[in-house]
Amino acid sequence: MMLFTIPIFSQLETVMRHVLLWFHTSLHLPWAWAIVATTVVVRMLLVPLTVKQIHSMQNLQRYAPQMKEIQKKYKHDRQKQNEELMKFYRENQINPAASCLPMLLQLPVFIALYYTLRSFESNFNVGPHADLSFLHFIPSISAHTTTYWGGYVLLVVYVASQMASSYFMMTTADKMQRVLFMVMPVFFVFIIAHFPAGLVLYWVTTNLWTVGQGLITRRLVAKTPAPAPERRSSRTPPKPEAAPAIQGDGAQSRQETTAPAQQPRQVRRKKKRTSRR
Amino acid sequence: MSAVLRVPSLLGVGLVWAYRLTFGALFPTTCKYHPSCSEYAVQAVRRHGLARGSVLAGWRLLRCNPWSRGGFDPVR
Repeated sequence: MMLFTIPIFSQLETVMRHVLLWFHTSLHLPWAWAIVATTVVVRMLLVPLTVKQIHSMQNLQRYAPQMKEIQKKYKHDRQKQNEELMKFYRENQINPAASCLPMLLQLPVFIALYYTLRSFESNFNVGPHADLSFLHFIPSISAHTTTYWGGYVLLVVYVASQMASSYFMMTTADKMQRVLFMVMPVFFVFIIAHFPAGLVLYWVTTNLWTVGQGLITRRLVAKTPAPAPERRSSRTPPKPEAAPAIQGDGAQSRQETTAPAQQPRQVRRKKKRTSRR
Repeated sequence: MSAVLRVPSLLGVGLVWAYRLTFGALFPTTCKYHPSCSEYAVQAVRRHGLARGSVLAGWRLLRCNPWSRGGFDPVR
């Protein structure tokens, strides 16, 4: 392939080869598990980036109703809709969760692994009887995924894990886009089937990491009571619909007795619980 | 601009499209900026040529990190 001659790609491949070789020879991991280990290390290095991303995603969810309103308003004008959303972000000091850099940092790893696996046997001078299998159902990580029946199992796992990770990392409130992100892996299976099984293994691992990370951060945030509603009340102008959520100011301005003043507090607590689930 | 001079920038735009159709499609994310990073790259290369456009696009990608605020940021 032409792309193969691009020097940076072959350098990436060299780095990947050394990393895999280190896992294989120093830690005595089988080749397939060396790939899994590499993926885990890469994702561990990216944790500071993704944690920040997940936090801002949860922050974003608090503004979901207002954002949906904007989307409804400019339903037919995508350009205007995006611009208005961006303006809304700026006004409310929202930091949109999705950013290109963390995703792009994984691109070199992916390319390196792709090229390493393409000529795996010659790269590592492994003999024809070398153990390239993974969990007994994939005989060779360097062969095309669909060469053996185990590959189909891996593809099914891939689709499931991709859907789950899209579910956790999805930041858009746009229904159309959400559906698209969920359905996409089903179509990509046809392309991915031609990739080496090791690459799909990388994919599945990174997806599962995303899912685990999403689950853990959700659980952690659910346990610690964040001062979310207070912040919201101080930043957004009080709206008639948002009145029950604003406990302090709203109750005072209405000059109500102590009994109704307690009511909103209860309502707020209930809301908090339901929203976290 | 003559057709020959436009070749490098077309190459750049082609590269962005190659990214969009392969990796970008396989790892779906939404950008925090508008226009999105890849769209920004296309516009920057078209307007300023391959060299300056690439630098602008690279700088935009670095800005598109979890700590930045995002928002409306067209190519100037």
